[in-house]
Amino acid sequence: MAGGPPKALPSTGPHSLRDMPHPLAGSSSEEAVGGDSTPSPDLLMARSFGDKDLILPNGGTPAGTSSPASSSSLLNRLQLDDDIDGETRDLFVIVDDPKKHVCTMETYITYRITTKSTRVEFDLPEYSVRRRYQDFDWLRSKLEESQPTHLIPPLPEKFVVKGVVDRFSEEFVETRRKALDKFLKRITDHPVLSFNEHFNVFLTAKDLNAYKKQGIALLTRMGESVKHVTGGYKLRTRPLEFAAIGDYLDTFALKLGTIDRIAQRIIKEEIEYLVELREYGPVYSTWSALEGELAEPLEGVSACIGNCSTALEELTDDMTEDFLPVLREYILYSDSMKSVLKKRDQVQAEYEAKLEAVALRKEDRPKVPADVEKCQDRMECFNADLKADMERWQNNKRQDFRQLLMGMADKNIQYYEKCLMAWESIIPLLQEKQEAK
Amino acid sequence: MEQAPRDPERQLQPAPLEPLGCPDAGLGAAIGKEAAGAGEEDSGVDTMTHNNFWLKKIEISVSEAEKRTGRNAMNMQETYTAYLIETRSVEHTDGQSVLTDSLWRRYSEFELLRNYLLVYYPHIVVPPLPEKRAEFVWHKLSADNMDPDFVERRRIGLENFLLRIASHPILCRDKIFYLFLTQEGNWKETVNETGFQLKADSRLKALNATFRVKNPDKRFTDLKHYSDELQSVISHLLRVRARVADRLYGVYKVHGNYGRVFSEWSAIEKEMGDGLQSAGHHMDVYASSIDDILEDEEHYADQLKEYLFYAEALRAVCRKHELMQYDLEMAAQDLASKKQQCEELATGTVRTFSLKGMTTKLFGQETPEQREARIKVLEEQINEGEQQLKSKNLEGREFVKNAWADIERFKEQKNRDLKEALISYAVMQISMCKKGIQVWTNAKECFSKM
Repeated sequence: MAGGPPKALPSTGPHSLRDMPHPLAGSSSEEAVGGDSTPSPDLLMARSFGDKDLILPNGGTPAGTSSPASSSSLLNRLQLDDDIDGETRDLFVIVDDPKKHVCTMETYITYRITTKSTRVEFDLPEYSVRRRYQDFDWLRSKLEESQPTHLIPPLPEKFVVKGVVDRFSEEFVETRRKALDKFLKRITDHPVLSFNEHFNVFLTAKDLNAYKKQGIALLTRMGESVKHVTGGYKLRTRPLEFAAIGDYLDTFALKLGTIDRIAQRIIKEEIEYLVELREYGPVYSTWSALEGELAEPLEGVSACIGNCSTALEELTDDMTEDFLPVLREYILYSDSMKSVLKKRDQVQAEYEAKLEAVALRKEDRPKVPADVEKCQDRMECFNADLKADMERWQNNKRQDFRQLLMGMADKNIQYYEKCLMAWESIIPLLQEKQEAK
Repeated sequence: MEQAPRDPERQLQPAPLEPLGCPDAGLGAAIGKEAAGAGEEDSGVDTMTHNNFWLKKIEISVSEAEKRTGRNAMNMQETYTAYLIETRSVEHTDGQSVLTDSLWRRYSEFELLRNYLLVYYPHIVVPPLPEKRAEFVWHKLSADNMDPDFVERRRIGLENFLLRIASHPILCRDKIFYLFLTQEGNWKETVNETGFQLKADSRLKALNATFRVKNPDKRFTDLKHYSDELQSVISHLLRVRARVADRLYGVYKVHGNYGRVFSEWSAIEKEMGDGLQSAGHHMDVYASSIDDILEDEEHYADQLKEYLFYAEALRAVCRKHELMQYDLEMAAQDLASKKQQCEELATGTVRTFSLKGMTTKLFGQETPEQREARIKVLEEQINEGEQQLKSKNLEGREFVKNAWADIERFKEQKNRDLKEALISYAVMQISMCKKGIQVWTNAKECFSKM
């Protein structure tokens, strides 16, 4: 802990995973991880190492587990941010293999979570457990509770909004699996959240329910602290930078909502177009049956339209499964981020109120009482955490959207390429006999 | 060009067996791809060499359309569109064309021309006119007859109609057609004076009437069946195509919304802003590209429509055969019954029930003189009937021969044209796909710079 290295704490640049396929993986990030998105070293250092009575930011550790502050793992963590290609990444998590469980009381799906890690926090190098949605939900609330100053990634929606979807259908399960995988990966990438004890248990415990029942409240100092912030204080003005974040999130969510509606509308129109195409193609076949010389060309056109129809169906399926859910996730993300902003406001409000109260007391030797200092400390930590997370979030958001939109463009390109191939291949068929004449 | 003298002697036969060989009987020049059939030109060749003019190539175009107002038959104001028909003769040597005739016609005159041809050439699959009213329209297109796009497409259709006639080995020689291109005033009167309306077989119009024909030529029965099915399938195709066009339009246009929202979003983004903004521009390009694409596709729809209407013309020829066959069978039947009557009278046996037979029984037999008289009348009728039957038979066979020749010609034309139409449709689709790939590739590049 002494002699903290001059390097900044790792910011989560997108390291491409070597071993595990990332469903939304793009090419490796072109920008240096350490670049402008890194929060200022001093601030972070102060947070992690400056406090004498520090309980580590990843949450209280039960006796027996080595603390992440031990030099080896610290070094590990610090080396991370210099590695652009993630060579020394030490935690990999993947969600796959959904399975349906039919019990007397209910039917539900579980997913396999595979963890590979060299971190000392993990007793074994590899774990494989099964979890269901409500376990993820539990994890998320625990993270929110224990890490209130951080932005916790969103989960896919609990209930299916458009009632007709079958929650056991392959497409739905696959979409959800991808979202859950993304959720865990975001936590994995986070330098603080990834060390959270609840997260560790989630990844490793054989019997999660037993652990849940223990009701261990593993709050960080901050968590504990923030928990006790009284909600009664009203913040006068949000500081400029946080107001800017708030405004940004408002507009961002609005625009995403619009994009979601547009995307849905496009899919709807495409499906209706598909319906017509499915009737259109076969008419050429019917015609072909009447003809002699034209029979083959007409049949060819019919088959061609059929191929285009299939390609279109693939496009709409892809967009529904891959594009829309990510948009919705980000809307949920920005909603939860706004809540964190509000909490921050409360912390600041309390501090300012108490400060004012002291100032009004008109003591001879105005000494800032300990509890006001605590409030200030709390506020400053919150601000630092939040700012760091915001930068990280902005960076990831940029990567995610670049990937998402490029993916959308790709899917459309592939659709047109399939159609192009189909039409080009029948030109010789159509021209054939004409030249033979 | 001087006006050719009218031919009042023109005989109206149900099926002219030879091309009209009058010196002034029409164009006779080789036009377009379909050179006048070699065999048909025999009688015309001599007259053609008489006048070098006819050897020149002729170009016909419907070059303009104009809105006009005038008074109609009921003396009411009406608005209609007039089309400018220009005829040019092309010098063989230098390929230059000289405008020889230019006049204005309206759609109803085209209709008149066609109706005339239908009556005078019942064995020919007469080229159809473009539709009178816009049908199979997808929503963005106007169904209004005055709409400029519709008028434009009709102009092209009318030109096509004239070119089809001009390139038909038999129809191109028709004088009325020639006058249609050259005689502006009085043309309607000229046509009406041929009296073709009176000669038209009204039964041809009664599409649903069935005639019990015992021995139709199977080829015609099959052909009629084919033309019915063709009409049905092309109608279906055109209907669905219009719906497909509608939906495709919707898909493209909604993408335009991305342009606006990307632009708004880019305003709050620092690094992502430029990429989003420029991608949005490409989405706008994508959305607007559909207008041209669908306009081109209308041309394909028009090609299909032509053959939809051609199917009707085909059907008309089959129908004509049916009616001729029916008349023939009726005549034969009538003759047979007269012969029988005659026989019965001659031999005195009454094998069949007849009114005369009954009255004879009731009122006594007729006198031998009366009987002789009746036999004589019958014999005359039988004679006449036999002559008629013979000529009807001949007519029928000639009709079948000539009609089938034109049908074969038509089949080749149809196969060629439709294949070309399908090729051009495929080419349109390919172009659309390539544009799509281009736009999305551009957008992808913009996204990659986000």
